[in-house]
Amino acid sequence: MSSAVTSTMASDMMPLLAALFLTPILASTPIAFAWAFRKDAPWARKLPILSVFGLFVSFLITLYILFNVEEGTKYVYPWLPAFGIDFVFIFDYLSKYMGALTGLIAFLIGVYGLEYMKDDYRLGWYWFCFNLFTASMLLVVYSDNLLMLLIGWEGLGIASWGLIGHWFRDDDELSYVGNMGRKVFGLNYFWSPSFGGWRAISTIRVGDMPMFFAVAAIYAFAGNLNISEIHWETLFETLGAAGTAILLIAFLMGPFTKSAQLPFSEWLMTAMTGPTTVSALLHSATMVAAGTYLFMRISWYIEPWAFSNAGMDAVYAFVLFLGLISSLYAALLAAGMWERKVLLASSTMSSLGLMFAAAAASKWLGEFAVEVSFWYLIVHAFAKATLFLVAGHLIHVTHDRFCGGDTEVAKKMKLTFLVTAFATISLAGIPPFTAYWVKSAMDEVMHGLIEHGMALPLTLLITISIIYSAFLAKFLSLNFLKGKKVHLHLHGGGLMGAAYTVMVSMLLVLLYLIMTGQEEVAGEFFHEGFVSTSLAVGAAVTVSYFFALIKPSIPQLSTVGRVLSDRLYMPFLNDLIVPKIGWVLVAIVDVCNRGVDFFFHQAIPAFFESASKSIRKIQKGYLASYMRVTLAAVMVLLVISSIVGW
Amino acid sequence: MIWVLLLPALATVAAPFLKKREAMVLSFLAFFIPFLVSFYWLFTGYTLEVAIQDVVGPIGRIYIYGDSLSHAFGFTIALISAMVAVYSLPYMEHRFHEMGLDVGKEFRKYWLFYNLYAASMLWLVYAGNFILLYVFLEISLIASFLLIYMYGYGNRQWVALLYFVWTNVAGVLALIGFILIGMQNGTMAMDAIKAVGMTAWLLVFVGMLIKLPGFGPHIWLPWAHAEAPTPVSALLSPLTVGLAGYVILRVYFIDSSFIESYRIPILAYGIFTSIYAGLSVFRQKDFKRLLAYSTVSQMGYMLIGFAAGTFGVLGVVIQYISHAFGKSILFMSAGAIIAVYHGLRDVEKMGGMHEYVPTISNAALLGFMTLSGILTVGMFGEFFILKGIADIYGLSLTAILPVIVVFIISGLYSFYTMKNIFYGKPKGYETPIVSRLLDTPLYVIGIISVLLILPPLATLFLAGVKIAFGGVLP
Repeated sequence: MSSAVTSTMASDMMPLLAALFLTPILASTPIAFAWAFRKDAPWARKLPILSVFGLFVSFLITLYILFNVEEGTKYVYPWLPAFGIDFVFIFDYLSKYMGALTGLIAFLIGVYGLEYMKDDYRLGWYWFCFNLFTASMLLVVYSDNLLMLLIGWEGLGIASWGLIGHWFRDDDELSYVGNMGRKVFGLNYFWSPSFGGWRAISTIRVGDMPMFFAVAAIYAFAGNLNISEIHWETLFETLGAAGTAILLIAFLMGPFTKSAQLPFSEWLMTAMTGPTTVSALLHSATMVAAGTYLFMRISWYIEPWAFSNAGMDAVYAFVLFLGLISSLYAALLAAGMWERKVLLASSTMSSLGLMFAAAAASKWLGEFAVEVSFWYLIVHAFAKATLFLVAGHLIHVTHDRFCGGDTEVAKKMKLTFLVTAFATISLAGIPPFTAYWVKSAMDEVMHGLIEHGMALPLTLLITISIIYSAFLAKFLSLNFLKGKKVHLHLHGGGLMGAAYTVMVSMLLVLLYLIMTGQEEVAGEFFHEGFVSTSLAVGAAVTVSYFFALIKPSIPQLSTVGRVLSDRLYMPFLNDLIVPKIGWVLVAIVDVCNRGVDFFFHQAIPAFFESASKSIRKIQKGYLASYMRVTLAAVMVLLVISSIVGW
Repeated sequence: MIWVLLLPALATVAAPFLKKREAMVLSFLAFFIPFLVSFYWLFTGYTLEVAIQDVVGPIGRIYIYGDSLSHAFGFTIALISAMVAVYSLPYMEHRFHEMGLDVGKEFRKYWLFYNLYAASMLWLVYAGNFILLYVFLEISLIASFLLIYMYGYGNRQWVALLYFVWTNVAGVLALIGFILIGMQNGTMAMDAIKAVGMTAWLLVFVGMLIKLPGFGPHIWLPWAHAEAPTPVSALLSPLTVGLAGYVILRVYFIDSSFIESYRIPILAYGIFTSIYAGLSVFRQKDFKRLLAYSTVSQMGYMLIGFAAGTFGVLGVVIQYISHAFGKSILFMSAGAIIAVYHGLRDVEKMGGMHEYVPTISNAALLGFMTLSGILTVGMFGEFFILKGIADIYGLSLTAILPVIVVFIISGLYSFYTMKNIFYGKPKGYETPIVSRLLDTPLYVIGIISVLLILPPLATLFLAGVKIAFGGVLP
């Protein structure tokens, strides 16, 4: 790929790019200021429209880039020319689609948010963070320079922190995760928004700092920070196998934590304490996918299939299995989950795992695997964002964050029901709907690994697909067909409905692109759908979907379900073991501080005080006592000198 | 334009004769104008030199000297001093009331010592002779000592003495080092010194380690910074202690032999200091003491930077700036809470404070973002230190893992503190009226901190700092 990239200095793009990143931020400053100074003014609650308009402008620019900017174009704007580091924007296959996807989803969720958040107590914060997030995400998507990417990356982290902890008062049961007041082995098993925010940023920092180091190390060893220009093969050769492995793992710590792979998954679950719009945009469609996107992007230019390096090969194998195992873990969790949003969060984690695995398979199967992974990201983004938006709407009308709703809900909220049904069917991989074709290609990729002596990936993928389809059907069934009876507070909902309807219809557009072959890459997936493995998996997934639709919960398995919905007790790692270790260290340090403080500020002064006292004691003022001391000293001196002399 | 460096002197003399508000405006301008000018000097790579007096050896020529390094430190000192001057007005008014003192009368003393203190730090970085540098070091020490002694909290006389003794030991050790340098070279003029002997280096280094401070001597700092009146804390912690780094830098630029021979112990000591102090932050109950430990942790970054080659040293310069920005914002936010809630500084009594003082909460967020290097100039500091580590130590896990842990801990305590103080269930305080002078200065610093990573400021800023390194950097 790197050879195909043409470096053009399109100077006319400057205003466009400035508008792309700055409009969302500038458009959200009025509401931020209004909220700080004139919160109660009647016009203040109308300002979010301006923020959404900013998102709309960004969306239009991403569309312009998608259709009018030639693939492989780069745009350079001087940033730190003294150090050979510049803002480098790249418009390649991945970034053009990803940018448009981000722009569209952010805009649609923005529209939804106008209604969903209209009575909120903290609109300034919400819209500023939301738009800052969108700008940061677009920066990550389009940047070729790793240091510039890190600005966007940190922006994602801070915006995500701000939005998860948006309801910082911790006073609304609807914003918690877990059953309020529940304890498991003495550990509180419920999480508040302010805690969710802290959990998110603390986990992400653990990944970002190694990644930051890796970027600095790339700068040190390659002398260049532009992903598409670094000679990766040469770089890896210089570093040797061990060095390459260290560098890649350090770099991938960022994507692993951001995309919530094991063992960094807990933050994504407690992130569900944020508003649903946030879960839809950040924690399913875009930000968490940024980790996988970045992995795809560097794989696109490293071209790991083109050469061999023991360190790199090991890391790709590691990512393959880490992704699959995380995916399986998360799929199991989702199967046992009762909370609407946490169920969707686990399913997101599962999908992210599959993206990592598929992209890592590119080491053995070439670029095609990255394309499969990327298209799965696109399909997943639209489907999962839709489901989250539906979940948000359901939480609004039922005042309940746990699954619930019988056929009455389906009757009264027909549109919502149909949208959910279509989104689940499309995402599950039931032929001939959208995800089926992409999943088929993924089956083929994993199938291809068998030739390289890895049979396990395909088995895991099929297992995951079956569970995945089952919990999607369970989500549909428990909320619209066979769940407990709920009381509906139906009013409004027009904007929300419109937003997720448009969102879900994007799956039809994708389906069209795949089936007609209008999109060259996606068109290839169409053929994979007719391979026997794919058809068999498709059939199994369909059976599992309809089984779960009819029997969404199995009372005989409630104990297993409990274990799964307790997230296989992973919270103990995050809430008990790691903090305990931390607190022990803190306690040791505290004791040392007291010790040093005592030594310097009490022991030393006390020593001087007592020394001075005892010296003063000698000075009695009697001539006789001075004489005695003098005589004694002379005697001692005589004795010493006679011994020494002798 | 060099005369602008004399503005603080004017303010020192004139402010005590003005009404408190006019004195504030004068002090603000006396530092804000030098800020703009030194910022401009940094961008243009201007070098200034003004001879004062030729003295016989071993003192040598005394002169004012300003290169990019001076400007980088100078603009930081001037900016923070200007902003803290504005903030001082409402804060010290509250403090004088609290202490039952006569506001008008005390402000006269306050402005005299405040301006003297800030001015001596500004002049310190423009001193061309080590003896001159030492004189400014001592003036800043005496002025800050008096401010703590008169207006500090808690056992303030004891704390002030403690502060004085420790930093004076630091100063004297450095002085002996300077004298040895003078004896060896026949001059203490920075441009004429050829070599720095090991003993002299050791004395300067150890002295500055006490002032910085590193682990061990760090113990004076939490007392002094927590109990000083907040505007003084907001100069002490961000500006004064880091100047120890400046002194080391100056000697380093003349002769880097000492640092290069003892790289590994310095790195290990820096890492230990930083992790140790970083962990100490979590246990603190007092907001200002908590910030003081964070200062020690951040000063560990500086030691790490010194041990990481040329890029690491570049990181030290940026780290000084970013820490100064972040920590001054944070001390001022802690002080704002103290001022509006009549001495509230116990972290355990806070919680959900964002509900009552949202502007201060958001400012503190900017401060913590600067400390942890998120979307602020702190990011460059971390980047260059890490680049230096990679240059010198390669991909050796024993060097990189601890440094990564150091950076992680800063992020963790930052957001842990944010959560404990500003978020969570509000504790039922009244919503106060916050004087705009208590929060606007924080935002000015915060916004500059953000703008410094984006073009065009970032371009000019880093190109300017690079000039200080001459042809050493590629």
